[in-house]
Amino acid sequence: MSKTLKGITLKGSAELVAEFFSFGINSILYQRGIYPAETFTRVTQYDMSLQLTTDAKLKNYLTNVISQLKEWLFDCTVQKLVVVITCLETNEVLERWQFDLECDKTFFLPDQCKYESIQEEIRSVIRQITATVTFLPLLETACAFDLLIYTDKDLEVPEQWEESGPQLIDQSEEVRLRSFTTTIHKVNSMVAYKRTNST
Amino acid sequence: MDDMEDTTIFSTLKSFKSLISGPDHSLLETEPAYGRSDLQKLYTKRVELEEAAERVRSHTSLLQLTQEKQQMELSHKRARIELEKEAHSSSRDLQREIDRNRELLLKIRRLEEREEKANQALNEQMENNKALKRNLEELHKKANVKDSKLTEADQMISELKDETRRLNQKIQIQESKFSTQNLEIQALQEQLDVQRKKYQDVSQRYQNLQSSHSISTESELKMKELERRLALQEQDSVIVKNMKSEMVRLPELEREIKRLREENCFLRETKENNSLLKEETEGLRKKLERVERVMEEKLKAELEKEKLEQELQAWENIGQAAGLNIRKPEDLSREVIQIQQRELNLKQQNYTLNSRWTESLLNFTSWKTGVLELKLVLLYVGQERDGMRAILESYDSELATSEYSPQLMFRVKEAEDMLQKVQAHNTEMETQLSKAQEEAGSFKLQVQMMTAELEALKEQHVSNAEKNTLATAEEVSSLRQKIEELEAERQRLEEQNNILEMRLERHNLQGDYDPVKTKVIHLQMNPTSIAKQQHAEEVEQLRLECQLLRDRIRKIEAGGGVTKDDTTLIIPPSQEILDLRKQMESAELKNQRLKEVFQKKIQEFRTACYVLTGYQIDITVENQYRLTSVYAEHMEDSLLFKSTGPVGSGSMQLLETDFSRTLTGLVDLHLFHQKSIPVFLSAVTIELFSRQTVT
Repeated sequence: MSKTLKGITLKGSAELVAEFFSFGINSILYQRGIYPAETFTRVTQYDMSLQLTTDAKLKNYLTNVISQLKEWLFDCTVQKLVVVITCLETNEVLERWQFDLECDKTFFLPDQCKYESIQEEIRSVIRQITATVTFLPLLETACAFDLLIYTDKDLEVPEQWEESGPQLIDQSEEVRLRSFTTTIHKVNSMVAYKRTNST
Repeated sequence: MDDMEDTTIFSTLKSFKSLISGPDHSLLETEPAYGRSDLQKLYTKRVELEEAAERVRSHTSLLQLTQEKQQMELSHKRARIELEKEAHSSSRDLQREIDRNRELLLKIRRLEEREEKANQALNEQMENNKALKRNLEELHKKANVKDSKLTEADQMISELKDETRRLNQKIQIQESKFSTQNLEIQALQEQLDVQRKKYQDVSQRYQNLQSSHSISTESELKMKELERRLALQEQDSVIVKNMKSEMVRLPELEREIKRLREENCFLRETKENNSLLKEETEGLRKKLERVERVMEEKLKAELEKEKLEQELQAWENIGQAAGLNIRKPEDLSREVIQIQQRELNLKQQNYTLNSRWTESLLNFTSWKTGVLELKLVLLYVGQERDGMRAILESYDSELATSEYSPQLMFRVKEAEDMLQKVQAHNTEMETQLSKAQEEAGSFKLQVQMMTAELEALKEQHVSNAEKNTLATAEEVSSLRQKIEELEAERQRLEEQNNILEMRLERHNLQGDYDPVKTKVIHLQMNPTSIAKQQHAEEVEQLRLECQLLRDRIRKIEAGGGVTKDDTTLIIPPSQEILDLRKQMESAELKNQRLKEVFQKKIQEFRTACYVLTGYQIDITVENQYRLTSVYAEHMEDSLLFKSTGPVGSGSMQLLETDFSRTLTGLVDLHLFHQKSIPVFLSAVTIELFSRQTVT
């Protein structure tokens, strides 16, 4: 999958970012054990092997969200994408993976925009996500996840989307991860987790 | 019917008439015959009565007929009405039928349309079918292709397997080679050992050689050393010889040495002095330089001093020239302040003067206008006077001596007085005007002087302002303080800004947002909400199950045993349980059947034994058998046997009963002597039988 683009368009950038989110969310779900590991299958992407879910309902939900997100990325109306992990028993938010988006609407075709460099950056981000497992606290109880999108206030949303709260963590520790940019969209990643009392 | 009635009526009338005419004729004929008059009268009366009756009858029949006619009409009307109703109903039916017909037609049309659609759908389906068939064919082709590929792959696999076999063979060959080489290695190692031993021998020899070599070198060295020593000694001898010669020169040398030492000391001292002197010169040189510099500075300072003195002189001169008592800058500043104050005052004065000047101008103009007006008035008055004079002269000319002359004269006088007054007033106004003009002129002069002074002061002020250090120093210091304060505030604000930015960053990391500009959205059907719902449902289900189980347990504890009421859980039984249940049921059935069969057989056997042997054998207690004979006299007569020894051995012993006491003889004979229980039993049977038959 090595495309050598002379430049990158807004549509191409939106697709790249959406693809990254799709694989990134799958990695998070696999690493944090939200869904059992046997429901994931190995695929190759960005020259590394990643896990992708085979659960039909989950796939459907993800494609819905990601396709809508792609549209909004094209319009540059989305500010953040957040993966919220909640404990089912206590209804507390345990982890929050936040991806900030900065959109440069005044884009111009740069001289040397290489797909390989963007891929390298995305690879490092995903490796970092995998590495965070070492310091994040264990999720012992059954958890579920939700995807929140921060958009402009006046954006018209389709019927299936409803407004929700930001679902912030009470007493959180935050860690900033790497970012990557396609010169049109810049994605900053960070993870916030609930401070455990033992530490 | 009417015609018929009419005809009947007419016929009756005709008959009546005919009858009337008949009897009339008869009457006429029989008029003369009075003899027949009573009978004829009776007969005529009778006829009349009959005719009346007939009339009445015909009337009644007429009435009947009319009634019938009316009835017929009524029935006719009714029939007509009914017919009309029927017609209506039939028309309605017709309408209904028409409507139904229309509806049916519509239905038919709709059905036709549906049929068409169905046909179209059918066609489409047929086309789809064809397309699917085509797809199927393509898929078959693809499958074939894939099969071919598979076969190729299989071929590849077989080839690869052959290759692997070949490689295995190669490996084996290699291994054999390896083993041969190992053997070679061993041989070589043995050789190596041999070589090593040789090497050791050689090394020993070499060491010996080396030692001998070293010994030889040592000896050589010794030789060399000895030779050297010899050479030295020869040299020494030579030296000794020279020394001897030199010894002669020793005292001279000693003297020289002394001298040289003294010189040395002297030179050292001089050297020290030299160094001291050098330092002194250095210091002096530096001093000289400094002094020269100082001299230069002094010259410069003197020049400056002269300049400053000149300036000071100039300042003092200024002071003297300006007529002010200036010795120090404070005086100058004081003077400046005074000048400024004076300036201010002068300005004020100027302002007031200007105002007064403007006022005076206004006054002047007003006065001018007044003067003009007065002149005009004067002119008018003069004209009036002339007029009056002319009038008076005219009066005078007209009247020589009149009574009006004193009055006129009086009037003239009055007019002249008026005129004089006016003239005086005029002169006064003129004087006032001249005064005002003079004042205006003086004011103008004053203003010009003031402006000149002001300009002079301004020039002075400008020249003084440069040397006015105090005021500016104060300003500068105040400005510096302000700057410092602002700098401190700026730093504080910068720190605050940094803190706020960090806080904002932290909040942004935590996920905060500005509700005015952004909103947070998510899908309604998201995994968390679905999971929560499922969780809640599970919890609910588990709670219900728990409740049911608790109830069941309570019932079981209360009732005991498995109750088959509605508290039993409808647990879907697994297949094993069902199988086991079936097995259990079958086993129980078998058991039951076996029991029945056993019972039956036992019963049969017992009855057979009873019948054949004549004894009913009951097991009363474990190992005890009670035999009751068929011929027993009483029901209680029984023999008791006990089984002794191990079970199944068959050894029995007779126990004492009431009945057995009556059979002691038999017991002794058969049991004690013959030791045979069957014989005893048969003997007892015979005995009893004989007893029964006898009795």
